[in-house]
Amino acid sequence: MVKEMLTVEQLSAILIILPFLAAIVCYLIRVSGVRSIVILITGGVLITSAVLLIPLTPFSLSPQPFFGVSIHVIVQALDFLLLLIILYFGFKHRHIVIKALALFQIIFLLYFEFFLIQDKPDTSTLYCDHLTLVMVLIVSIVGSLICFQAIPYMKNHEEHLRLKRSRQHQFFFVMMLFLSAMNGLVLSNDMLIFYFFFELTTLCSFLLIAHDGTKEAIKNAVRALWMNSLGGGAFILALVGIYRETGTLELQQIINSGNIGTGVYLLSLALLCFAAFTKSAQFPFQSWLLGAMVAPTPVSALLHSSTMVKVGVYLVLRLSPVMRETFLSQSVALIGAFTFLAAAALAVGQSNGKKVLAYSTISNLGLIFACAGLNTPESIVAGMLLLVFHAIIKALLFLCVGAIEQHIASRDIEDMRGLYADMPLTALMTVMGVIMMIMPPFGILLGKWMAMEAAASNLYVIIMIALGSSLTVMYWARWAGTLMSDPFAGRFKPERQPFLTWGALGSLCAGAGLLSTAAPWLYIQMIVPALSRAYLPPYTTQNGILENPYGAFAVFPLSLVAVLGFVVAILAVKRAAKARVVKPYLSGLQVAEPGVFTGPMNQLVKAEAQNYYLSSIFGEKKLTTWINLGAGVLLTLMVGGAL
Amino acid sequence: MIDTAIFIGIGLVVGPLLGGLVSGLDRILTARLQSRIGPPLWQPFYDVIKLWNKEKTVVNVWQAFCAYCYVAAASIALVLFFLRSDLLLILFIQAVGAVFLVVGALSSTSPFSQVGAHRELLQILSYEPLLILVTIGVFLETGSFKIERIYSWNEPLLMKLPFLFVVLGYALIIKLRKSPFDLSTSHHAHQELVKGLLTDYSGPILALTEIGHWYEVVLFLGFCSLFWATNWIGMIAIVVITYFLEVLIDNVSARLNWRWMLGYAWTMGLTLSMVNLVWLYAS
Repeated sequence: MVKEMLTVEQLSAILIILPFLAAIVCYLIRVSGVRSIVILITGGVLITSAVLLIPLTPFSLSPQPFFGVSIHVIVQALDFLLLLIILYFGFKHRHIVIKALALFQIIFLLYFEFFLIQDKPDTSTLYCDHLTLVMVLIVSIVGSLICFQAIPYMKNHEEHLRLKRSRQHQFFFVMMLFLSAMNGLVLSNDMLIFYFFFELTTLCSFLLIAHDGTKEAIKNAVRALWMNSLGGGAFILALVGIYRETGTLELQQIINSGNIGTGVYLLSLALLCFAAFTKSAQFPFQSWLLGAMVAPTPVSALLHSSTMVKVGVYLVLRLSPVMRETFLSQSVALIGAFTFLAAAALAVGQSNGKKVLAYSTISNLGLIFACAGLNTPESIVAGMLLLVFHAIIKALLFLCVGAIEQHIASRDIEDMRGLYADMPLTALMTVMGVIMMIMPPFGILLGKWMAMEAAASNLYVIIMIALGSSLTVMYWARWAGTLMSDPFAGRFKPERQPFLTWGALGSLCAGAGLLSTAAPWLYIQMIVPALSRAYLPPYTTQNGILENPYGAFAVFPLSLVAVLGFVVAILAVKRAAKARVVKPYLSGLQVAEPGVFTGPMNQLVKAEAQNYYLSSIFGEKKLTTWINLGAGVLLTLMVGGAL
Repeated sequence: MIDTAIFIGIGLVVGPLLGGLVSGLDRILTARLQSRIGPPLWQPFYDVIKLWNKEKTVVNVWQAFCAYCYVAAASIALVLFFLRSDLLLILFIQAVGAVFLVVGALSSTSPFSQVGAHRELLQILSYEPLLILVTIGVFLETGSFKIERIYSWNEPLLMKLPFLFVVLGYALIIKLRKSPFDLSTSHHAHQELVKGLLTDYSGPILALTEIGHWYEVVLFLGFCSLFWATNWIGMIAIVVITYFLEVLIDNVSARLNWRWMLGYAWTMGLTLSMVNLVWLYAS
């Protein structure tokens, strides 16, 4: 049927080229109705194609020449075009680092293409195993949902900005292009093509961050561009090194031939890890991701969940088999764990909701790097699970905060006090997102449990993970409690939001919940096949219990009990709703007005309390310099140790 | 299958019964230390029954939700302990309960609840990493996170993990909110915070939080028993001695502020854990 009608060539083409075509249509036809329909159809087709790819995985293929020109030549040309565009932006914004890095990359690419590569063997251009598939599913499903929600969001956004001429065509052009770049990146097997898409995501993120065109937006976008160009530069250097040592640029061939152990080879791997760290905004490169918050919220959602930052962790997870039992791998674990702890500490000091989300992203990516670096079968499984669940839940949380921000015109957690009374359903979904971030039996905690048990043999890593996860609990619990604060609203009545917003939020929330329950299934169907041959599947699954010789996580039983507990608690809420509602205790005579009591001399006193942010310990001013310094030392250790 | 059901039953029923009794003993012992006679042994049960029959009043219905979730998480953690499941998982689940208690307190606008809740978060921040590191130490010695395996270890863990046991005891003072670390709430009304975390939980909902606390007490005494699990006498002795010391410390010390708590936990606690863990890696 449909499955037989579409071949892997066609599906891959759809996944990579369709969003690109949709981007062009969005740019050319500047009618909002047409644009919405194009985005919805593209998203739908992307999701379907990604799902249809499941039974066809794994495969590898080399596309036929396109009108007589080979794909390699096309990508080669596009590569230079891309670098020239980046160079143009370097000149436009008068940024010496961007100019230098773009020129550096152009020169190395020229050297590479025309001097180093002698004969181009018949390489397989695209390759899709289950790790790729997981990424394709995340990009296509979560990415599309974010684009859907962006339709009503951007309409509101532009009304709020009172623009004379809509700039949405540019916005959606880049959003769609981004999806195209991501699918291309994860599907490519040829490292040069990988590099092209790597740079394309850099350019896309630059354009998206700069979208609003304010001074701050431009400044932050330029910062994102130079930091990620640094990664691009490291990447091309690494390619030269790897090609000289192994004589191939096929990712699969590199991985299958194992660690060849020469200094140049290890240094190249270290440079690839470095590139991954810049993409994933690990310390000391976190500032580009924090600065990216100036963009409209769907951009943050896209950058933080399904695209951009996931490139880095994907790359390192992909390379982990060749890094086994190297000093490099240990350094990656150390840097990851350090970032996990440091970003969590910084998140505690923040009252800005989007900043908390940003630091939490950096922190979670750090944990995934730590898992990749620990490099045991358990930790790799943990890393992949964290990757999946973080993508879904972070998208949900960002979209929730976006909806909240448009409603209350603030992103400060203090202003979200008692949000439940105002936006009950959004508040509840945000709280659900928080719960799924920090509580078992949900997916993130499953991953964290695996990570901790795998990290037990590494003293520094486990201590940092233990401290970091307690800090994580602190900043999330605080936020959830603030959202549910009284005044009590009475009957539950969902607020009005556009259908697309509810659709995106609802499907992400339900998806994360259901997938958590289905974790054993996910493990068998997706994660185990995604493991490289170097790793044996570490867990058995019986009766929905993930178990290895020294630990067990009862996913099904716990999910069942959690659902039961939830039902009982909801019934308790229903009963409590009939109980007498009293005012909070304020140690004074209560008056009708909330939060006010009669104090001495019959004066009305307003009682107020704010959250602890402990900025004297966890403030950005206190910590950032030291953390950057520490991360710098660790990075030097990593790259230097590979020499 | 039958075994499992029996253990679940024991966990659910015997847990709070034992916890209530421990609480009663605690009160008698505390009274004796203060030259009082103290309440009857069953007083905690009378208290809870009385609270249960009071009129239900709420400041925010979500407090009821949070209280139920707290009891649910605490009881599941204890049941899993009786089923001799994964120790790390049990810690995660009891943390769920602790977080729900905090979220419930935060859902009231009373500054007493709010400040109490934030102090409780700081308490979690102090003890949680220590508990995880103790668990890691147990794993390094026995090679398993499963309590089944840990109980069948043929040498008392205390011998190899002396410092980690001290760390556990230290974490317990914070976890069970004993003085000097009864910052968020305590059995006696605070001068500055009334009942802190629990200020706006009332009537049957407050009774639930008390029952949840009993489950937790039993869970953590069970955790202590892991350190001398070779015979029953050792197990009971280590639990009794530990709890007696906790009550003693509770009675002889004055409350410290959170800076001291966090500072001590993260410096002394981590140092002791690290030293002991390094021994284990070395051996």
